[in-house]
Amino acid sequence: MNRTFDEILDDCVDRLNRGDTVQDCLRGHPEHASELEPLLRAVADTRAAYKFTPSAEARRTARQRFNARMGELETRGQAKRPLLPRILSLSPAWAAVTAAVVVALLGYFAVRPALTPGPVPEPVAEGGFSFLISDEVNAIGDFDSLEVTISSIGLHLSGEGGGWIELEPEEEVVDLKLLPGKKAQEIWAGNVTEGRYTKVFIYVSEATGVLSETGEVIDIKLPSGKLQISKPFDVRSGEETTFVYDVTVVSTGQGQAADRYNLKPQIGESGPDQEFELVGGKGQGEPGGGQGDVNGPGANHHEGNRNQPGTPVSLKPD
Amino acid sequence: MSMSMQGVVAVDYGILGFSKPWFPRQTRTMQFDRSSAQAQSKQAALAALYDQYYNRIANYIFVRMGDRSEAEDLAGEVFLKALQSLGSYKERGVPMQAWLFKIAHNLVVDHLRKTKKRKNVPIEYVEVVSESDPQEIAEANIEFSRVSRALGRLTQAQRQVIELRFFGELSAEETGKVMNKGAGAVRELQCAAIKALRKMLQEEVDTGNGGI
Repeated sequence: MNRTFDEILDDCVDRLNRGDTVQDCLRGHPEHASELEPLLRAVADTRAAYKFTPSAEARRTARQRFNARMGELETRGQAKRPLLPRILSLSPAWAAVTAAVVVALLGYFAVRPALTPGPVPEPVAEGGFSFLISDEVNAIGDFDSLEVTISSIGLHLSGEGGGWIELEPEEEVVDLKLLPGKKAQEIWAGNVTEGRYTKVFIYVSEATGVLSETGEVIDIKLPSGKLQISKPFDVRSGEETTFVYDVTVVSTGQGQAADRYNLKPQIGESGPDQEFELVGGKGQGEPGGGQGDVNGPGANHHEGNRNQPGTPVSLKPD
Repeated sequence: MSMSMQGVVAVDYGILGFSKPWFPRQTRTMQFDRSSAQAQSKQAALAALYDQYYNRIANYIFVRMGDRSEAEDLAGEVFLKALQSLGSYKERGVPMQAWLFKIAHNLVVDHLRKTKKRKNVPIEYVEVVSESDPQEIAEANIEFSRVSRALGRLTQAQRQVIELRFFGELSAEETGKVMNKGAGAVRELQCAAIKALRKMLQEEVDTGNGGI
């Protein structure tokens, strides 16, 4: 099979990365040697000029911090282990005692309603909910990247017992440059209380863009730090609702670069009935790389595989 | 007695089977502690990458920031941040090493934004080739300046592919995962980047700004 020059050059870069010399690479591709040599010299010069090995001390210190943090997480994980595994890891004697106590308690609570009849509180019904961020194309072409840090999501549940539900994103930072048009990135998935929601806001703690033309890094300011839309939607028990929240960057065309851009929610492009193409987050892969789904209208309520569910942080009454 | 619950295979462990060991630890872990096992598995995978990728990530950051000490610190931060965010890492075809470089990219952007410097490349931070040979140090500094200026003239995408391939030492496929491109597009971009870099380096020599 004939290999393209791009592939041959790529192979040579891999070989240089593995420690081969320019001459080794050229010997492997004699038919392209004259074209390859100046390019590989440029690669080697660049690598040599910037080659840097961190000090042993810095490496050791960083590793110690990493190990300490991992130990903390493991300890915390042990403390958070669910009850059942903890019971099952007890010795047989303790397990027998625990089982006896559990049976006694179950028996008590089974008999109790018959003895003291009264209203039994119904469990709160929940429905699956995914929250996605997308970007309608406006001034995003001015940027190489535009990273928006979303610290929380608020949903307003209407009706009796309603209020604001606050969700903490699993992926806090989204790059709007990667989410043009129908592309959308999931930042939260889990269960929320069933019912009608009327408003959605996102808190944006930071928005940082890199301008394509100048490479300048700018902060985009949001006066209130919050973007809100009123777009009613329903979450139903046993179904999954996917809400696409469209954020767009617009240029005012005036002032310094840092003051020239605003972030705005696009209500017309937001909601549970938007077409979207799911793309990964910063740790999730490439857009359009075959890992996302394309859901059309009407696919907003669907059964399907869910990610590890998130947990609503709080429900605040109105 | 048998027991069944959502996501758990029914298990028969015998009535009052206390004379035998309660069931094997591994079985229990698999059945009742799946999320914890997944978290531990991700932690183990990250720890295994540490030794292999710390230097590469530090080098990648150094090229972008030009400061050795900051590069060392931020490389450590990359792994701490990764550990903290492991819960949200889902492979979906993105290898963990590519994910680490995405984190590194985000940390560098954030750091540069905070320090309000696009690029800071002080000559004194150049790797000292040989402390006993001042001429060699001077030559290394000149070469560093020449390469630094040439890299600065590339487009963002060209620079990123070079940073990830030459210094992060990622494969074309892994680079594609970081840059949200296919491997073929990365190879094409890399070829254009190297040709442009070679031209810029030559121009630096021709204009008398570099060369040894």
